[in-house]
Amino acid sequence: MPDELAPKGMKPQAKDPTPQPLKRGPWHTITEPQLFFPAALIATLILLWLVTLNLIEADQLKAQEHASNSTTELSQTYEAQVVRAIREIDQSLNVVKRAYELGGDKPMLTLVDDWGLLLPDFLFVTSVSDAQGKIINSTRAFKNKTIADKEIFRGQLNSDQLLSGRPWQDPYTKEWKLSFSRRINTAEGNFAGIAMTSVDASYFVSGYEIRQLGQLGVLALLGSDGIFRVRRTGEAVFSGESVDYAQLLPDIDEFEDDPAATLMTNSWDGIKRYTMATKLYEFPLAVVLGLSQEEQLQQHLQLKRLYLQRSAVASVSIMAITFILWRLSWQLQLSRRRAMEEQVAHAQQVEHLAYHDGLTGLPNRSFFSQLVNHGIAEAKRYDRRFALLFLDLDRFKIINDTLGHDAGDDLLKEVARRLTECLRETDTVARLGGDEFVVLLPEMNDEKQLNEVGEKILHAVGKPFHLAGQELRVTVSIGISAYPMDGEDEQTLLKNADIAMYHAKQRGKNNFCFYSEELSANSLERLALESSLRLALDRNEFLLHYQEKHDLRSGEITGAEALLRWQHPDLGLVQPLQFLPLAEESGLIISIGKWVIESACKQVISWQEQGLPPRRISVNLTFRQFTDTHLLEDLARILQTTGVDPSQIELEITESLLLSNFQNALETLGKIKDLGLRIAIDNFGTSYTSLSTLDKFKFDTLKIDGSVIRDIANEPADQQLTEAIISVGRTMAETIVAEGVETQTQAEFLLASSCDEVQGFYYDKPGPIKPG
Amino acid sequence: MNYKNYKKLTRLALIAICLVVATAHSDVVVVVPADSPVSALSKKQVAKIFLGKSRRFPDGSRAVPVNQSESTALRNEFYFLVSGKSPAQVKAHWSKMIFTGRGQPPKEVGTDSAVKQQLAVSKSNIGYIDRGAVDASVKILAIQ
Repeated sequence: MPDELAPKGMKPQAKDPTPQPLKRGPWHTITEPQLFFPAALIATLILLWLVTLNLIEADQLKAQEHASNSTTELSQTYEAQVVRAIREIDQSLNVVKRAYELGGDKPMLTLVDDWGLLLPDFLFVTSVSDAQGKIINSTRAFKNKTIADKEIFRGQLNSDQLLSGRPWQDPYTKEWKLSFSRRINTAEGNFAGIAMTSVDASYFVSGYEIRQLGQLGVLALLGSDGIFRVRRTGEAVFSGESVDYAQLLPDIDEFEDDPAATLMTNSWDGIKRYTMATKLYEFPLAVVLGLSQEEQLQQHLQLKRLYLQRSAVASVSIMAITFILWRLSWQLQLSRRRAMEEQVAHAQQVEHLAYHDGLTGLPNRSFFSQLVNHGIAEAKRYDRRFALLFLDLDRFKIINDTLGHDAGDDLLKEVARRLTECLRETDTVARLGGDEFVVLLPEMNDEKQLNEVGEKILHAVGKPFHLAGQELRVTVSIGISAYPMDGEDEQTLLKNADIAMYHAKQRGKNNFCFYSEELSANSLERLALESSLRLALDRNEFLLHYQEKHDLRSGEITGAEALLRWQHPDLGLVQPLQFLPLAEESGLIISIGKWVIESACKQVISWQEQGLPPRRISVNLTFRQFTDTHLLEDLARILQTTGVDPSQIELEITESLLLSNFQNALETLGKIKDLGLRIAIDNFGTSYTSLSTLDKFKFDTLKIDGSVIRDIANEPADQQLTEAIISVGRTMAETIVAEGVETQTQAEFLLASSCDEVQGFYYDKPGPIKPG
Repeated sequence: MNYKNYKKLTRLALIAICLVVATAHSDVVVVVPADSPVSALSKKQVAKIFLGKSRRFPDGSRAVPVNQSESTALRNEFYFLVSGKSPAQVKAHWSKMIFTGRGQPPKEVGTDSAVKQQLAVSKSNIGYIDRGAVDASVKILAIQ
C-alpha cells in the first residue's frame, strides 16, 4: 500500500496521508477558471475597445478630410461666383462709361437701361457723376448729390480701373452697401466723372446655403485692406470689421496647385472652422469660406457617441456573461471538488476500516505490521532501538464464555481505551485479534523505562471493570521484545514477544517478561509439544490408566478413576501435568476429553461383557470442557453410541469450576444429571468454597482431596477438619470418597469417620487396565 | 429661414393684407394678353414664373413675366399671394438668383397701365394688375 493512502489516526511515524497537489506548469494555471475567465475578459475588452477606438479614429479622419475637401470645393465655387458677379458689375459700368464717353452730356443712363444693359435696379443703384462729383444721372432719385469726397470717386481721378470702396451704411435703411466705380473720360482722355453702382453688401453672400455651410459656417468678401466687405454666418450678415489680413492670407507660394483648407479659430467670432481664404486674381479682394468644425464633425461625434455607447453596452454584457460563466464554472469546480473530497473521504473510511480493528478502533494486524516495518526502517537508518509489547488478557476466555460475547467486547474496548490512555502519543497500540494486543514503543530502549511501561499497563488493566452489571478484575500478561537485540524483522520480534508473554503467563500471569534466548528454548519445546499433541489423537497415542476405588467396609472394588496418559513416540510416557495445561489452553482438551469419556464408556461395557460386577468409572472434566457449549450433546451422543448405562459413568468437576458463574454451572450440572450421569465434586476441601452454595445441588459423590487427610495421623486439627468435611459432605452428596489414601492409619481413621470409599496408593496405584 | 420665423412673418403679412384689402379694396389679378391661349394657372405655377424658376407655361410655350415697379403696393401683395414671400424675401431670392447666375428678375414696368401696354407687345407676357384696371386687352387667369 502506498504511504500517501495511510488511514486516519495514523501515528506520527507514518507519512502525512493528505495527497499533495500536483505541480502544474504556467499554462495549466491559465486554464484554471479563476484565471482563465478574467484573462479572457480582459483580452476581449481590450480587443473590443481597440477596434472601437480605431473605428472612431478612422471616422474622424474621414470626417475631417471630408470637411476640408468640402471647404475647398465650396470655396472654389464661391470664388467663381464672386468673380462673375464683379465682372458683371464691371461690364455694366463699362457700358455706362462708354455710353457717356460717346454720348457726351446726354442722359445716357435711361438709354442703357432700356437696352437692358443695367443691372436689375431693384438690387443695384447705378449713378453717374460729373467731374466735380455731382450726381448727374441715377436709377434712383440721387440727383445733385455730391460724391466728391468718396473713395470711389477720388480713386478714379488718377486711374482707369474698377474700384470698390469700403462698405458704407445707408443712413435710411441702415443696410450696408458696396459701391463700385469706373472712370468716364472726355474725348481728350480727361476726367469727366464716374459711373458707379451700389448694391446691398449681402448680395455677395446671398449664395450662403445653410444646407452646405450650416448655421456656423462663414462666407465673406474681404478687402486687401483687411476690412470685411461683407461676412455671413447663418442668417446674420456683417460688414466693416477688420481682420489680420496677413494671418488669414499668408503670402504663400502662388504656384501651389492645391490650396487646402486650414482648421483655425476665426479671429472675428472665435469659432473654429475649416477655413479657406483665396485672393481674387483680378480684384484687390479675397473670398473667405469656412465650415464650422463642430457642425462638420457633428455626424462624426454622433457616430463616436454611438460607438462608445455600443462598446460600453457590449463591455457590460461581456462582463456579465463572463461573470455568469465564471460562476457556473466555479460551481462546477466546487461540486467536482466536493465529489472528489467525498471520494477521498470514502476511500479514507475504507482505508480506515481496512487498517483498523472494527471493535476497538485500534490499528489492526496489517496496519501494525506496516508500522513495525516502518519503525524498523527508521530505527535502522538512525541506529535506534524500539520495543514491542505483546499483551494477552488472562482469563479472557472465561469472561467471554460466562458473561457473553457482548461483555467480552465491552471488556476489550475498555482495555483498548485504558491502554491508549496510559501510553504516550507516539506509542502505538494495536489489536491483533481475540484478546491479543501489541504495543509499539518507538525510541524505547532502556530496560528501566520498559519496566515502568509494563507496570503502568498492568496497573491500568488491573483496575476493576464494570461489565454486565458486575465488577470484575482482569489481568494481563505481557511479553517484551526489543529491536534489534531480539529480532530484526517484524515476525521475529512478534514471535519473541509472544514467547516472552507465554512465559509471563507461566510465571503466574499478571506480570511482564522480557524475551531472552532461554525463553525461546523453552518455548520451542512447548511448540513441539503442542504440535505433537495435535497429532496425538490421530496417532492413537493417548491411553487411560485407572485407579480403583474401594468400599471402606467391604473392601470391594466399586469403581475406578480414569486417568489420561500420553505415550509419546520419542518422549515416552508424558505426565498429564506436562501437557494438560497446554491442551486446555489450546482447546485440544475438547477432543481429547471426548475420547476419554468414550473410552471410559467402552471400558465399562467391556467389564460387563467379561461378567465382572458393575464397576463405575469416573472421568475428570476440565473448565474448558465444562463450559463447552457442545458438552451436553457430545455426552448424549457418546452415551447413545456406546449404549452404556449412564449411572456407571461419573463426571468429576472441581469446586473452582462452579465459582466463575455459579448459576450457569448449576444449570449445566442439572442437565448432565438429566442424562443419567453421576456427578462428583473433586478436590473438596482445598478451596474456600462457600459451603452454603454447595448445598443448592445434590452431588452423587464428594471426593475429599488427598491434602486434607495427608497429616491426619499426626494433626488432631486435621482429624477434626476431616470429620467436619465428611459430615458437611453428607448433606451434599450420597457417597463420600477420600482420595490419596496412602497409609493404613489414614484408612482406619476414615473408616471411623464413616467415609464411604477410598482411593489411593495404599490400595492401588494407577495403571493400565488389569484383568478382572 | 427657420420655420418659426416663417410662421411669424406669415401671420404679420396676413394682418397687413387684411388691412390693405379692408382699406383700399384693392384686388390683384393675374393677367395675360387677351389672345393668349393660356387661361388658367395654379398659384404655384405663377409663383415659379415670377421667381425665375420657370420660363414656360404648362403647355410649353414661353412665359415672360412683367413686374410692377418695386415701389407699388400691388407688387408686394401679388408676391405674397402667390409665393407667401415678403418683399425682403423676394429681394433676397432674386439677390441669390442673380448672384449665383441662375436668372434675371422680370422686366419692371411702372403701373397697371404700363403692364397692360407691355402685355400687348407679346403673347408670351404675363403680368398682374388691379382688378379695377382690367379691360378687353387682357384676360384674367383663373388661379387654381
